[in-house]
Amino acid sequence: MKSFVILADATCDLSEEFQREYDIGVIPGHIELPDGTEIPAFLKWEKYSREDFYAALKKNPNGYSTSPANVAEFSAAMEPYAAENVGVLLLTISSGISGAFNFASQAREELLRKYPSAEIRIVDSMRFGPGFGLMAVYASMLRSQGKTLAETAQWLEDNKNRFHQAGWLDDLSFVAKKGRITQPKAFFGTLAGVKPIGEFDYNGLTTVLGKVKGAKTAYSVLLGYMEATIENPEEQIIFIAQTNRLPQAMEYKKMIEEKFHPKAVFVNDVFPSCGINIGPGLMAAYYMGKPISKDLSEERALFDKLTSEG
Amino acid sequence: MKTKRIDGLLFEKMILNGLANLQASQEEVNALNVFPVADGDTGTNMCKTLENGIRYAKARPEMGAYLKQLSDGMLLGARGNSGVILSQIFKGIFLELTHCGYVNPGELRNAFIRGYKVAYAAVVQPAEGTILTVAREGIEHIRQQIDRSTTVERLLSMYAAEMRKTLAYTPEMLPVLKEAGVVDSGALGFILIIEGMLKYLYGEVLTPNRSAEAKTLPEEEAPSLTLFNENSAFEEGYCMEFILQRLKSDRYTQRFSLDRYLEDLKLYGNSIAAVQDGRRIKVHIHTLRPAKVITLSQEYGEFLTFKLENMQLQHNEHMMRQAAAQGKHKPLAVVAVVNGTGMKELFAELGCDYVIDGGASMNTSSQEFVDVFRKVNAEHIVVLPNNKNIILAAQQAVTLFGADNITVLPTGSMVEGYFAIAMDVPNSTDIDFRLRQMREGGNSIETLFSTTASRDYSCHEISCRAGDQIALLNGELVCVSSDWLEVLLAGLEKIPDMEEKETCVIFRGAGISEEAQEQLSQTLTERYPMLELNFIDGGQSTYHWMLGVL
Repeated sequence: MKSFVILADATCDLSEEFQREYDIGVIPGHIELPDGTEIPAFLKWEKYSREDFYAALKKNPNGYSTSPANVAEFSAAMEPYAAENVGVLLLTISSGISGAFNFASQAREELLRKYPSAEIRIVDSMRFGPGFGLMAVYASMLRSQGKTLAETAQWLEDNKNRFHQAGWLDDLSFVAKKGRITQPKAFFGTLAGVKPIGEFDYNGLTTVLGKVKGAKTAYSVLLGYMEATIENPEEQIIFIAQTNRLPQAMEYKKMIEEKFHPKAVFVNDVFPSCGINIGPGLMAAYYMGKPISKDLSEERALFDKLTSEG
Repeated sequence: MKTKRIDGLLFEKMILNGLANLQASQEEVNALNVFPVADGDTGTNMCKTLENGIRYAKARPEMGAYLKQLSDGMLLGARGNSGVILSQIFKGIFLELTHCGYVNPGELRNAFIRGYKVAYAAVVQPAEGTILTVAREGIEHIRQQIDRSTTVERLLSMYAAEMRKTLAYTPEMLPVLKEAGVVDSGALGFILIIEGMLKYLYGEVLTPNRSAEAKTLPEEEAPSLTLFNENSAFEEGYCMEFILQRLKSDRYTQRFSLDRYLEDLKLYGNSIAAVQDGRRIKVHIHTLRPAKVITLSQEYGEFLTFKLENMQLQHNEHMMRQAAAQGKHKPLAVVAVVNGTGMKELFAELGCDYVIDGGASMNTSSQEFVDVFRKVNAEHIVVLPNNKNIILAAQQAVTLFGADNITVLPTGSMVEGYFAIAMDVPNSTDIDFRLRQMREGGNSIETLFSTTASRDYSCHEISCRAGDQIALLNGELVCVSSDWLEVLLAGLEKIPDMEEKETCVIFRGAGISEEAQEQLSQTLTERYPMLELNFIDGGQSTYHWMLGVL
């Protein structure tokens, strides 16, 4: 019997395959469609294909919206385990973006009143999408190594600032609208031919470190950035996320495999919970490395060095 | 006529004649365009530059005093490269004659020499075969021939004749001129000015086209009346200006002393000025009690004109503007010259703080740049001229404005300007980093522009008829066709390693249909399947399509 369960909200972007492989349960949030109907967030292209969904989203970005699971839903997802005295480790999307951590914490309070001996830990991932999903996978691996719930939760708290994103988001209009990125408003718009390179920041959002012209330069800067920030790459599982940028992601995967020889590189989808807020245009790798500096000054300096080297 | 010396008043008449002479041939000068693209405007630029100087300068008998104003006005009003160089020549002339009340032919010769030297120094990479060469050789070839017997007429006629000789050689010095079969337009423009000045001395007085002078600098908007309301304090008073006509009727006091009147006015206000002209007195006063001033004045006569302004309203407006400006203070502001509705929106969307409407000719003067610099409230300003012909005007504006916190990025077209601003990283606090990003943005892009030829054109490699479709690659005419799509495809073929290019940003011009865009998109996708295409509705004039390839 497993020592504790790992749950994550649906913004972790872990496909069913990963959920099974790493035994991670997912708590779906909500998606509102342009016709006003609400559906549960999903992590499988079934009813909608990736291409159709992003094409529809691109046409009508304001028609879609998302909301996290509410307190009752978080509570309902955790209660069966609390009642059975099985420990729960729940990871939520960055509190810099969503109220999920707050809701989940309230649900925990309620459950602890009802089941005072229950062991429930909520971890604010400070990440979203595959960066968050990768963290859940690390938690699962620690569990497999025999770590306790408390040890695993502590490790996550100590190391979450080491989960990096090295990628671009070449259509910033969505993140602008949804406030998912820290930038002045005027920053957003058509960025044809220009790739903004983003990294997770201390507030659990993404910040643009700088921009490069064209994909070729972008790949070279990204690989240089990874090389300077990654630790023990050969022991890592690396995720590559893409919202409708599959060919570019496959090319990036090949380059990462050749350069870093990691254990595995998985090209993952960004499902609607995140995709609605990010929009098409994301192509990024997620990996573990050096702690990210508080004001991103070191990362900015690194970007500057990489781009001025040409 | 044997003019041995000229003063500021005569010089003004001569320069007006010079302007009129240039205006008469303005279109001829405009037509001396290297490429058959309908953006040739050297003649217009030089006219506008000179016009601005003349408008700015008040008639002054002292030569130095008149030239200072003329030169300042030209520096501010300079348009295009030719206008900037012209303004620099006149700056040199002014510098040489600063302290002169009137000048003799020898001094005038020295001034022409100083003029070309100052102009050369102002251009980063002076090209021969241009206005610079003509101005230099024209005076250097005759400088030894000026002696005590030389008249101003003789000096100017020799100068103009020598410049004409050099003009004929400009195609030999500048290959693009030879290919296009034209002489240098700026050089011809300068000669026309000198010849016009000479014509005045020979009695051939021309009338400048005044309608061209009608355009005045933008006026400050009137303050909004809502800024003075029931809650306002009133401490600033009124600004009164009037002309009082003293009347002879018995009803009015006939004995009048200006000194006494001024003493009385001082009881009611300050900033007082009063000038007497016969029985008329022109008065300016700031006062909280206008009724007292009126009553006092009506003892002597009645008002011919009268103006009363609420200075509190102006004060409030000023304070509001100051507050607004402070609120918007930015570490770095971007100023760009843009043409086309879509392009303007795009630049604004990308964070451009001041979009200057360049009009179809993208021809912004130094004055317009300076006006914008005054409005910008930022630690640092970046200027994107987006036209190779106004980079100098922008740089001159920076010098005139006297600030060391303004950087002109030499973006030669809106495509380069787009990449520069798209590469900006506004969330960075490192200004140097942002500048590097923008500079890198404008670099190493292949630009391909297409349009309809404005006239017949021929050089040894390529020729076209007016109405043909032509394509310019990085500013050089490379292809001609009767078909717009063909000319673009042929132009792309000329780009080295085109097959390896990854991105193409395409700005659709004014009046070009979406169907045409669809057709271009399909054709390019078939021809270059790996090329990422990005279409933007630029709405620019002059060019039907502007492509940036990288």
